[in-house]
Amino acid sequence: MQKQVINNKKPLGPRIKKYWQFYLLFIPVLAFVIVFHYLPMYGIVYGFTEYKVGQTPIFVGLAQFKKLFGVVEAGASETTKLLAARKSQPFWTAFGNTIVFSVVKLLLNTGFAVVISIFLNEMISTKFKKVTQTIIYLPHFMSWVVTASVFTLLLAVGQSGLVNNLLKSVGATDTSINFLADPGHWKVWYYIINVWRETGWQTIIFMATLTGIDPGLYEAASIDGAGRWKKMQYVTFPALGNTIITVLILNLAKIMNLFESVFVLQNDAVRNATNVLQTLVYYEAFNSGAVPDLGYSVAIGLFRSIVGLILMLLCNIASKKVRGRGIM
Amino acid sequence: MKKLLALALALALCLGLVSIPAFADDTVKITILVDGTIPDQNNGRDAFEARWEELHPGFDLEIWQPDHSAYYTDMQQRMVSGNYPDVLILSSTYYADFAKNGVLWDMTEAWENSKTKNSGRFTGDKVFEGLKIDGKLYGFADGRGNGCVTYVKKAWLDAVGMEAPKTYDEYIAMCEAFVNNDPDGNGQADTYAISAAGFIGNEAPFVNYLPEFYQDAYPYFVQQEDGTWIDGFLTDSMKAALERMRDAYAKGLIDPDTLTNTTAQARTKFYDDKFGVFTYWAGTWATNLKTNLEANGRSGELVALAPLEGLPLYYDRVPPVWCITNKCANPQLVFDTFIDTMLDGGDTQMLFTYGPENVYWSTEGGFHMLENLEKAGTNYTKFHTDPMLALATFAEGYYDPKEESVLPEAKASSALFNENSQLATIVPATDAMTEFNGQLTTLKNEMVANVVMGTKTYDQALADFNAAGGDLFSAAIVESLNALN
Repeated sequence: MQKQVINNKKPLGPRIKKYWQFYLLFIPVLAFVIVFHYLPMYGIVYGFTEYKVGQTPIFVGLAQFKKLFGVVEAGASETTKLLAARKSQPFWTAFGNTIVFSVVKLLLNTGFAVVISIFLNEMISTKFKKVTQTIIYLPHFMSWVVTASVFTLLLAVGQSGLVNNLLKSVGATDTSINFLADPGHWKVWYYIINVWRETGWQTIIFMATLTGIDPGLYEAASIDGAGRWKKMQYVTFPALGNTIITVLILNLAKIMNLFESVFVLQNDAVRNATNVLQTLVYYEAFNSGAVPDLGYSVAIGLFRSIVGLILMLLCNIASKKVRGRGIM
Repeated sequence: MKKLLALALALALCLGLVSIPAFADDTVKITILVDGTIPDQNNGRDAFEARWEELHPGFDLEIWQPDHSAYYTDMQQRMVSGNYPDVLILSSTYYADFAKNGVLWDMTEAWENSKTKNSGRFTGDKVFEGLKIDGKLYGFADGRGNGCVTYVKKAWLDAVGMEAPKTYDEYIAMCEAFVNNDPDGNGQADTYAISAAGFIGNEAPFVNYLPEFYQDAYPYFVQQEDGTWIDGFLTDSMKAALERMRDAYAKGLIDPDTLTNTTAQARTKFYDDKFGVFTYWAGTWATNLKTNLEANGRSGELVALAPLEGLPLYYDRVPPVWCITNKCANPQLVFDTFIDTMLDGGDTQMLFTYGPENVYWSTEGGFHMLENLEKAGTNYTKFHTDPMLALATFAEGYYDPKEESVLPEAKASSALFNENSQLATIVPATDAMTEFNGQLTTLKNEMVANVVMGTKTYDQALADFNAAGGDLFSAAIVESLNALN
């Protein structure tokens, strides 16, 4: 049978007249969104200018984007070409890092959250379960600055470094490892810290799904002779499937927004290798050691927004296919 | 009733989104953007503001003070959004660049005619000459820039039976003794000789936290005697400096967490007796280090070292300066009222130097500085202008409490620094610097970290530096600087 869509909406004018109180209440929200989300978009134009603080922006067309991608005019000298290529190198590293860090982090966080949710769901002692839940939620409420300070101390090379002391005491290493000074180790610890901080919080959504599973399904499975593992295999996992996909899709749309977690853990030895787009924008804009050309920073930010928008649209399509409704 | 409630709620929310401007009066408002060198509201800033307005009737001082560590980020954000203050504090890097780009008001003439310059009390002509860009002055310094001297714990020297070092070899021998001979006497090998907040500074003069290792190396652009510029980072002196640091690091003389230390963490480790040699600010910081060590139950006696034999003098950095922006409606009035009174030799200089009475100091029972509002057990040492660095004396007959307020260790460290320091110079700003210096600095810092920690040899690190474009960026900037000649 074909569904018939009936559009019974009245025109906007009569609707505003009828429900004016609701529209009145909506005004502050609308004003907030316009002032803090839409008006700042005017800043996009700076991506097409050369703009130093205190000076009038000069329109340069796509020059900032050419610089970003290392494109030079035809007939440019070898030195100019090489300079342009080297100048754009950190941008490509940061772009790759943004994608890799975000995706790996997302998969790890979601995977661990699912596993922990299932363990928590299987716990018989309610008191123990609640205490465990509280403990694993807590890290989420620590600011990234505090988190970074704590882990910098734990991973210290000197006597205060708990992790190095432990490794030495069990004979895993003779000398302390400078975890945060080597890009390889840094990335591993970046993921570990993210899992530690965010996994507990993410379990909430999976716990809610697990709580909502009809107990009758488990009873029926028991009657059919299913053990604990079989019940998980045939009842729990399928029930979680839709939620996992939803969480992944919703978070995929946000993967370009990486900043604070990376910024607070960086140091001189790993900055180049661990920059993401937002930290690169920050360093270009505020830490260049000279008055920066903000046009270049805006160009990087605009590129990031465009990639984010494309991802969002793709996620919306994926969401419509998987869930039957979009995320926008 | 519900409708009325909805209306009231909506109006309240709308009003909440807009600030209600204060009613205008006849007072002239001066807005100043300051970093943490003006103490914050937890440390008597409101009392300072009230006293300043009392001394300057008809003026309303409005202070904008972001967090010290985010000062330059905040400053640029404000300017980009057109939110300019009348006056702001700038470090040498931004000063040169902003001056070149027309952000700052040219105060050359105002300064020449100022009361301070013509007072007969002013002692900073050399400093002000160093602040001129193309012969013009855009900033006012109330004090010298100051710099760092190396402090050694006397108790540790006594414990290892050594005298303060005079040569580099003696210095290294002392550091080895501090690591190997249990200077804190706790029976454990748990001490380092040296620590710092990073292996290289974030701003000029870059080398001031580890001067014994850098020696004659300077990792930034340097003008030679013939007027040409070079990048000091790519010289043999720098290679030798990195190798000295690498050797000391490998021997365990330098705290292995130096890379990730903040200045606050480095200070805390010093107070906790984790290390014994600390290169830090001269002057009032000598008192702060002493009192904090004593507050931790340690001996506060420190020996300030003169530069080791054959090594260059300590760097006296270009001082941060007070500038008037080109958006200021009446710069001459602001100069006369705010800038030119800072060293007036009277009440305003007293306020900037020692802070508001009964908050920072009291005369009950003789002049004395009061207890720090945030750190019980320690006293304030100054407000903004360091009494030992001020570029003008107080007027004749005006009571200067320097003798009572500045403690002997601060005087001694300041005197030692004054005798053994050289003025740092401003590097001009160029377009190539704007374009490449950020990336170049990141590459330089990475190379320093890798060589010192032994992750890469100097040659490997230099090859990586060049592969990432370091040599090209450096050459482009040097070329742009030489083009100015």
